[in-house]
Amino acid sequence: MAVVRLANISKRYAGAATPSVDDVSFTVADGEFMVLLGPSGCGKSTTLRMIAGLESITGGEMSIDDRVVNDVPAMDRDIAMVFQSYALYPHMTVAENLAFGLKRRKVDKAQIDERVGKAASILGLSELLQRKPFALSGGQRQRVALGRAIVREPKVFLFDEPLSNLDAALRVNTRNELVRLHHRLGATMIYVTHDQVEAMTMGQRICVMNKGQVAQIGKPLDVYRQPADAFVARFLGNPPMNLAKAKVVSQGGANFAQVGGAMLPLARWSAADLAPSAGDVLIGIRPEELGLLEGGAADANALRGTVSAIEPLGAETLIVVDLDNQAGEVTARVHRDVQLTLGDPATLGFAGSALYLFDAKTEKAILASAA
Amino acid sequence: MSTVMVFLAPALLIYAALTAYPVLRTFYNAFFTIGDINTATFVGFDHFKEVFKDATFWAAVRNTAIWSLVAPVMDVVTGLLLALCLYAGVPYARFLRVAWFTPVLLSYVVVGILWVWIYNYDWGIVNVALRAVGLGQWAQAWLGDPKFALGAVMITHTWKWAGFNMVVCLAALHSLPSEVLEAAELDNCGWGAKLVHIIVPMLRPTLLNLYVLAFIGKMKVFDLVFIMTEGGPMWATETVSTYVYKRAFNWNTFDLGYPSAIAVVWFVVVIGFVLFFNRVFKQKERLEY
Amino acid sequence: MTMKSSSHYLRHGGLMAIIVLYTLYSALPFVWVGTMSVRTTGEISASHFAWPEIWHWEKFRIAWVDSHFATYFWNSTIVVGAAVAIVTLLGAAAAHCLARYNFRGNRLVYFILFSSIIFPPQIILISLFQVLVEYNLYNSLIGLTLVYVGLQLPLTVYLLEGFFARIPQDLFDAAKIDGYSDFEIFFRIVLPVGMPAIATTVILNFIQLWNEFLFAVVLVNEPGSSTLPIGIRRFMGDYFQDIGMIATGMMIAVIPVVIVYAFFSEKLIQGMTAGAVK
Repeated sequence: MAVVRLANISKRYAGAATPSVDDVSFTVADGEFMVLLGPSGCGKSTTLRMIAGLESITGGEMSIDDRVVNDVPAMDRDIAMVFQSYALYPHMTVAENLAFGLKRRKVDKAQIDERVGKAASILGLSELLQRKPFALSGGQRQRVALGRAIVREPKVFLFDEPLSNLDAALRVNTRNELVRLHHRLGATMIYVTHDQVEAMTMGQRICVMNKGQVAQIGKPLDVYRQPADAFVARFLGNPPMNLAKAKVVSQGGANFAQVGGAMLPLARWSAADLAPSAGDVLIGIRPEELGLLEGGAADANALRGTVSAIEPLGAETLIVVDLDNQAGEVTARVHRDVQLTLGDPATLGFAGSALYLFDAKTEKAILASAA
Repeated sequence: MSTVMVFLAPALLIYAALTAYPVLRTFYNAFFTIGDINTATFVGFDHFKEVFKDATFWAAVRNTAIWSLVAPVMDVVTGLLLALCLYAGVPYARFLRVAWFTPVLLSYVVVGILWVWIYNYDWGIVNVALRAVGLGQWAQAWLGDPKFALGAVMITHTWKWAGFNMVVCLAALHSLPSEVLEAAELDNCGWGAKLVHIIVPMLRPTLLNLYVLAFIGKMKVFDLVFIMTEGGPMWATETVSTYVYKRAFNWNTFDLGYPSAIAVVWFVVVIGFVLFFNRVFKQKERLEY
Repeated sequence: MTMKSSSHYLRHGGLMAIIVLYTLYSALPFVWVGTMSVRTTGEISASHFAWPEIWHWEKFRIAWVDSHFATYFWNSTIVVGAAVAIVTLLGAAAAHCLARYNFRGNRLVYFILFSSIIFPPQIILISLFQVLVEYNLYNSLIGLTLVYVGLQLPLTVYLLEGFFARIPQDLFDAAKIDGYSDFEIFFRIVLPVGMPAIATTVILNFIQLWNEFLFAVVLVNEPGSSTLPIGIRRFMGDYFQDIGMIATGMMIAVIPVVIVYAFFSEKLIQGMTAGAVK
């Protein structure tokens, strides 16, 4: 088990205008499950491949357990990788697939058999050892790919979106199995995905990436509750956080965010907090924080508009409200028994503590320093 | 239905008239002695019996068999190695691809004459080069010596076709999923190990296919031999094709029946081999990736 | 990047050496002929491998005019051109039919057409000779053209059927709804959409037929009707020691192929390898 440290890692392909990975730094602690999360093209897979040694590092220093591995070839880094497409050797049986890496490393036969047997029993592959990949289902192939990594007993496990080729039900099952596996092995695992549900449920810490750079690193719930910028705020959470443009106005010594017809009090933010954004901000509220208020209620923390879409999901209902004064649209999660029709006026209330502020230009979060 | 007929009929007509009918007619010819265009005397299986006793025929078979079974191995191995060079990314890869592929396009006449000159005893490149490095005693009359003639012609044939095999292998290499090769790299495989354990096994269907294609091509070979040696010296390079041609069009007695019998025998042999290869090389399971 | 050890350079150097040697092996003979084609036989006999001092371009004219190369060239052009045109049309029609229409015996017909690719040519050589003589087509360009069509038909059908089968059925359904007849669909949809594959087969057929030798030598005897490969060979007979002239003739024969290759190398390679990669 090992510590993986990335210090100012960057990757620029020859002839490319911008780097694919730009000054990424983080440390994965021994035995930690770290998730690299981001949309396609954000550089998370490239970063993972640089950790693996499958891509060369253009700048920065990569170390595994205090050993700088920038120039160490992939096979000598003592890492194992589970590929998105599993990358099983199609002409070998499951047993041969599992044993191949060990044979290449001249591990003796008794050890190989023992490790293969153990991995097979952990993953429920014992009856499939003599089959070839084409005779396996997607989930079984995925487990063989996992097994291939486990038998190596490596310092670090790397996962490149391993669940994306599975159907939804299998994905949920396998997610849980992977978490259990992590507990059982206590290994350092770095996991790449674009699915924020996977990141939230599996990661001990998540690293959100965007356009080649690190947007935020932290524990999943921390990142969810305190997003560092609008991108992270929208990326985590389904449906995503509502964002709307607003202007900061001063009235009677207090600051308000003017959005649509509403004036939302900004008591938690001091004047110093608000100064850099020069009055142009984005307000953010998560759909689950919005509740329907009875018509006419005069609440300060409320937005008004008309219902433009209703999506009954069964367990709950999502409604989309077109805010007054063309301020934008917000989505709210309401109880499944709510009766509404398109065109109805709606007032959505929320707790003052659920309001987020972001600078409209930089999109960075404006932190509240006042109580 | 009539649309089908209109689309298919012309092609089927050509096929029937110029392929199917001639095949049947050759079979028919084999049972006759055809002294000149209009006379055909029935001789039953005599021709076939004669074929099996014909020493020249067997010499031709021996040569063709050696060629067809051995040369394809050279072809495929050369093709694979060349393709690997390009796949591994050597500089000027595009130019190399062109340079290595060009011989494939040259007609056998051009290739044949060219290599007759290359093998020339006095001033051909091979002997000149040998003499230049002091190995003059190894210089031979490559095409004039029964010991070397077949090998020499075989090398020429392989020279022409290496580029084709290379191009096919290159396409096949590019179709390999890169993630499997990366997994092999993580499993401690250098180039050699990757080649032996991963690339060749995964390329097996293509390589076998190339072998069979080369085999068929060499069973048919005529043009090159005809230009370079005409089957000599002393039948050292006689192939079944050149022998059939000679018996039909270049023999002191004119008889189209006997060479037809040879053609029939050879036809059966070739088809037999292809079916045999198909059975033996058939991939029992799909290499799904 | 990984540290380059001395063994790395050795391997790298060794690889480069092999590549250079093989490239010479592959390309040098051709370059040699090229140089010989512009030198006179006298110059060549004096020194076989020298670079031309005087570039005797007039040899090309001599070969063309005095040695009847013009005739051979035009014969080849007519025969090959006509054969390729006909086989492409017939082959495309047949391929379209086999790819698009479900009828009993579809696979059987395909198999019959396709399997003849492996037939050794001797099985039809002698009887084709007889047939052509009987129908007075021996020594005629028409006869040779027909034979060439027959020779290339299986390959053409094979290559085109594979491609045509992959054209989405939706295109045809939409055309039917728009009121096109089956023939219009063939000419207005299949041929244009299938143009890449058709181009590939045209190039392939052209090169194979341009170089075709066996049937040309058997079915055409008369110099006036000979095609280029036969012409060159006859050259060898007439001018056995005139190496310079033969080299010039060879270059004339090779130039069209090189031109086609220069323009269409990608398509050509695709066509030749189609079906070989499994």
